[in-house]
Amino acid sequence: MSGLQSALEPAGEQAAGIHGLFWLMMLVCGAMYLLVLGGVAWTLWRAFRRRRPASEPTIDPPDIGLNRGMLGWAGLIVVGLTVLITASFLVERNIAAARARDALEVRVTGHQWWWRIEYRDPRTGGWIETANELHLPLGRTTRVALGSADVIHSFWVPNIAQKLDVIPGRINLLDLTPTRPGWFRGQCAEFCGVQHAHMAFDVKVDAPEDFERWLAGQAKAAAIPADPVAARGQQVVTGGQCAMCHTIRGTPSTGRAGPDLTHFGSRRSVAAGTLTMSRGAVQGWIAQPQALKPGTMMPPVALSGPDADAASRYLMELQ
Amino acid sequence: MPQTAPNGAQDSRAAAYERNLYQVAQGGRYFTWYGCGSCHGRSAKGPLNLGDRVWVHGGALDQVYGFIAERHPGATAGYAARIPAEQLWQITAYVRNLPRLTPEKRRRQDLDQVGEPQGSNWTGPVR
Ligand code: HEC
Ligand code: HEC
Ligand SMILES: [Cu+2]
Repeated sequence: MSGLQSALEPAGEQAAGIHGLFWLMMLVCGAMYLLVLGGVAWTLWRAFRRRRPASEPTIDPPDIGLNRGMLGWAGLIVVGLTVLITASFLVERNIAAARARDALEVRVTGHQWWWRIEYRDPRTGGWIETANELHLPLGRTTRVALGSADVIHSFWVPNIAQKLDVIPGRINLLDLTPTRPGWFRGQCAEFCGVQHAHMAFDVKVDAPEDFERWLAGQAKAAAIPADPVAARGQQVVTGGQCAMCHTIRGTPSTGRAGPDLTHFGSRRSVAAGTLTMSRGAVQGWIAQPQALKPGTMMPPVALSGPDADAASRYLMELQ
Repeated sequence: MPQTAPNGAQDSRAAAYERNLYQVAQGGRYFTWYGCGSCHGRSAKGPLNLGDRVWVHGGALDQVYGFIAERHPGATAGYAARIPAEQLWQITAYVRNLPRLTPEKRRRQDLDQVGEPQGSNWTGPVR
């Protein structure tokens, strides 16, 4: 029931509200269910006690107690439903009210099958791009503007907030107010094609100072590698086919079709949660993305052994 | 998955791309992603119109592929250094299929891809 992707262990204001609602529903519905079972048991017991020989026809007199019981039962249902509706109204109003606060602006775009993430740069007002890893400052509301590049997706970080669909041609706003630091996991929650299951992202909640430091790091251009093998890797990645689809800021690589790789090496996973970050995983991904994530929009790019080795070494150095 | 260019107009791998609508559509997607549409878009005229059945540089499979890969004008003189072989097959299939893509279908396709990344100036569907 617990873990880094669980709505039952809330680590955000929005998720906490929904979690409370969940237990209230459990309580009200559970109590009603027990009453129904009790009623059934009582009826059976009554019928059993009054059993008479079958040959003797009888007409039961009207049972006033039963009529009263039914009225009380209907009243109980009305009360239960009213409690649930009121509570759900209050929780939803509270979730929507967070929008009034001073929020950090983040744009998230769903692609088949990965997430583009952009932060408003507090210094320049421009956008700082990354992918598949969302960092959030603790205790502050982040307003995520959700857009889709292709089909309907759904953005869900169960520990922190409710899910919200990502609709092509629309911008949907979702607020996230994390209350506990640590790593969490989010996932696309609307079937969006063959690799829907591999459309996850890591979420890191940090103290505000640590978040600011991280963001300042992400705003920087990519480091120029000192190591000669990695330098060869830079040539391979930024001067060839990869550059048509990937941006690495500070290099000639300016493609927009795939994830921004400027600080790729600092991420925790590869290809939207498909693989854990390691050099082997990166090199395998470059060699055969279609084998690891069949159907992915990244094509296999033919590289010689040494070039693939250099490329993965370079990508790992993009901290 | 082809790793090499077509070896002639009748290359046996052609059918798997040219007669497969999925591959043709993927070609259309990469056509957009790689920014070909900024010059060869829906309203392109003259030699830039790829759907007019007039092939200045030859319309056979190997000719179109060869032109895009090796002789296309621009910074890199041909896209072979920039686009992997399988995408070139898909894009060639798409380009050669364009004369058969009715305006209605092309409009439909443009609408489907309106949010997708296009060339290096693209700023996202969120504005
Ligand atoms: C046709 C465009 C295209 C080309 C060419 C391309 N990629 Fe990709 N790449 C993508 C897409 C799209 C994704 C996202 C795939 C997914 O997660 O399903 C991706 C994902 C990646 C990732 C994982 C990123 C992350 O955030 O986890 C890496 C690393 C990567 N590509 C490296 C490369 C390298 C190196 C090359 C050249 C050898 C290359 N790519 C060529 C489109 C491309
Ligand atoms: C900067 C503008 C530009 C871009 C971008 C561009 N093209 Fe072209 N393309 C041209 C021009 C100009 C010609 C005409 C060259 C000539 O006739 O000598 C041409 C010609 C062609 C032809 C030959 C047409 C014929 O009649 O024989 C094909 C095929 C083609 N381009 C495909 C592509 C593809 C595929 C892409 C994307 C990968 C692309 N082009 C991107 C400008 C562009
Ligand atoms: Cu999805």
